Amino acid sequence: MSGFSAALRAHIERAREWGRNEVRPAGLEADRNAAPLPADHPYFAKFVDFRRRHPSPAEDDTISEGSAVRMAVLNEENAYWDRGMGVAAPGPGLPAAIVAALGTPEQRERFLGPFRGAKEPRWGSFALTEPGGGSDTAAFRTRAIRTDRGYVLRGSKCFIGNAARADWVLIQANLDPEKGRAGQRAFFVEHGNPGMTGIKIEKKMGLRAYESVSFILEDCEVPHENLLGGEQPARTSQSSAYGATMGSLNTTRVGVAASAVGLARSAYDETLDIAKQSGSIKSARVRDRLEAMRRRLRAAWLMTLRAAWKADEKIPNIVDASMAKVFAAETAHELATVGMEIVGLEAGAGDCLVEKLFRDAKALNIVEGTGQIQRIIIARNLVGLPR
Amino acid sequence: MNFSSNDTDDMLSETVRRFATEELRPKLREFEARRSVARDVQERFESLGLAAIDLPEALGGVGLGLSSRVLVNRILAEADAGAALALDRFGPAAYVIETFGGSDLLERYRDLLASRPETRLALLIDVDAGTVLEGPVRGEAAWIASGNADVLVCLRRDGAWVMESGFELEQARGAALHATGASRIRYGGAPAHVWRDSTLAAQAWAKVRLYHAALIWGVLVDAAGFSRRYALERVAFGKPIAHHQALAFLIVDMEIAVERVGLLIADAARLIDAGMDGTGAAASAFVDAVEASRFVGPNAVQILGGHGFMRDYPVEKAMRDSRALGLLAGGTDAAQDDAGAALAPANPMEFAA
Repeated sequence: MSGFSAALRAHIERAREWGRNEVRPAGLEADRNAAPLPADHPYFAKFVDFRRRHPSPAEDDTISEGSAVRMAVLNEENAYWDRGMGVAAPGPGLPAAIVAALGTPEQRERFLGPFRGAKEPRWGSFALTEPGGGSDTAAFRTRAIRTDRGYVLRGSKCFIGNAARADWVLIQANLDPEKGRAGQRAFFVEHGNPGMTGIKIEKKMGLRAYESVSFILEDCEVPHENLLGGEQPARTSQSSAYGATMGSLNTTRVGVAASAVGLARSAYDETLDIAKQSGSIKSARVRDRLEAMRRRLRAAWLMTLRAAWKADEKIPNIVDASMAKVFAAETAHELATVGMEIVGLEAGAGDCLVEKLFRDAKALNIVEGTGQIQRIIIARNLVGLPR
Repeated sequence: MNFSSNDTDDMLSETVRRFATEELRPKLREFEARRSVARDVQERFESLGLAAIDLPEALGGVGLGLSSRVLVNRILAEADAGAALALDRFGPAAYVIETFGGSDLLERYRDLLASRPETRLALLIDVDAGTVLEGPVRGEAAWIASGNADVLVCLRRDGAWVMESGFELEQARGAALHATGASRIRYGGAPAHVWRDSTLAAQAWAKVRLYHAALIWGVLVDAAGFSRRYALERVAFGKPIAHHQALAFLIVDMEIAVERVGLLIADAARLIDAGMDGTGAAASAFVDAVEASRFVGPNAVQILGGHGFMRDYPVEKAMRDSRALGLLAGGTDAAQDDAGAALAPANPMEFAA
């Protein structure tokens, strides 16, 4: 394995400078305020300007690395500075790939078009999780009922990123409950739709920089043309919303793994700095623990990069992606936890970055499939664990 | 960045895999009982060129790097780590000879090994050696993983020495790795070669550590794989035990532990092959292999339950062998010291060019 291309390194350098100067301070501000940065916070306008001046690596065809490796490397760097700010970043977000793959041409233009070259911050959002079910996507209870005027959505969603400020939320709902998972489709609900009610911005332990939103769909009406992929019946399970969601997770898991590695590296660097400053690094016990942190970090990064590389090479990566996801997420948590012990009482005073990372990291073993779900996925492949 | 294997290593793997599966694995307990590997197996190993994969081509070796060596050791150890040690008569001592004595001395010992098929070099790591390296050296070690030795090579933090006479071996029962035999060793005499250079010592030690870490890796690959397959066959409470979530998750965590060891070993070997400082990475990989062995070895036995405890199955051997391997190469504490000392300089996110 050789190093990264010069073109990708240039992006990393830029992300590093941006991260140090803008992302880290903004993330700390949100953490101290215990609330997401408001949508009109100057950071977001700056971010949009930054993106206009420096297109994302995904659009830079001078980079020789594949798209999954690019994403992994940049997610890692961005999460190093603040994972919450990464989720809060303006843009169509997670559903962009799903809409691009499954949306009709009109939907792609209508829902993704406004993001191209946008001068103001704007967000898209994707709503999957429900109060009664996170991992068990097949058990979701939100229903869609077809009417003459369009569809009526009924149900509730929770912990949805950026949903209160988004131009639209792509909402997973079951149009045909008798078909189980195959009946699930996705619907665009636009900002201000009166059927999207009870909007509550959750107060969180960590990752406070982005808003996690819970809401109720109370006879929420959308027109026919808001059904993702159009009204023709789903041709294959791949074109159902469920298939699209599951299909997209192979690279998103790797993306989350990379973010976890970035967070873990942040915890390691900060702990190492503090241990050097305080002189505690001279203690063999402290050094041993730092070495174990670093070793684990390195292994998590290699595991993540390999899963990304396989995705780019079109080598099946289900096990690799899940393994990277669970191992990196648990690594982030472990490093921040042990880091706090090395830092000592200062970590209890409330202004310690390692302590913030300790709170932030926990989420990474919950989102995009909990550690338990990842183990189930791996076990299905290793030993045919029945569903 | 590339995680794919090259054609040379693919061919090498296939050759080693066939040899290990056909010649080593079926005779696992036979080698253990006789405390050595049969002569014809040894000859086949050497005729395939596997004894000399990382000797320079100028000396009749294959000239492959440490990355290939760790691959070979892993595959051999998947069959039998004791046999892997027994088959390699030059053994990790070659790294010490080459690092300090260069190709001339390497050639001399290669010729010695070629002329006498029973000859072996034994490697001793003297972690706690004092500072004096002149004149006769005297000491003893409770265990070397070899039933015989004609040349004793000793690696220390500050240098190394080679002794061709003045040492004696006493047969030991051995706790594990029986195929390679076991001895207590006592030495007292003037070494034929003495070197004092702690930088070179660290470089040689890194290779010695990866050599042994790869053997542990192989044992763990086999232990995890064997117990996983067993868990699919063994039925309890109406379904394969692998389908009980408590065991399914354990199996997954064992797999993750083995994967991370493999990635760290391959990574450190690549660093060294690229001519970079791999001492810290090699020490870390060794510690990781030992830590994984504490988890994977006993749990492989656990999955087999009572059967795992019996010598009818190879998992008890994997538990003992992996535990014993971790005592070699200077042991875990020394590796932990070196890994910790190498903490500061390198960036854990950088890659070998």
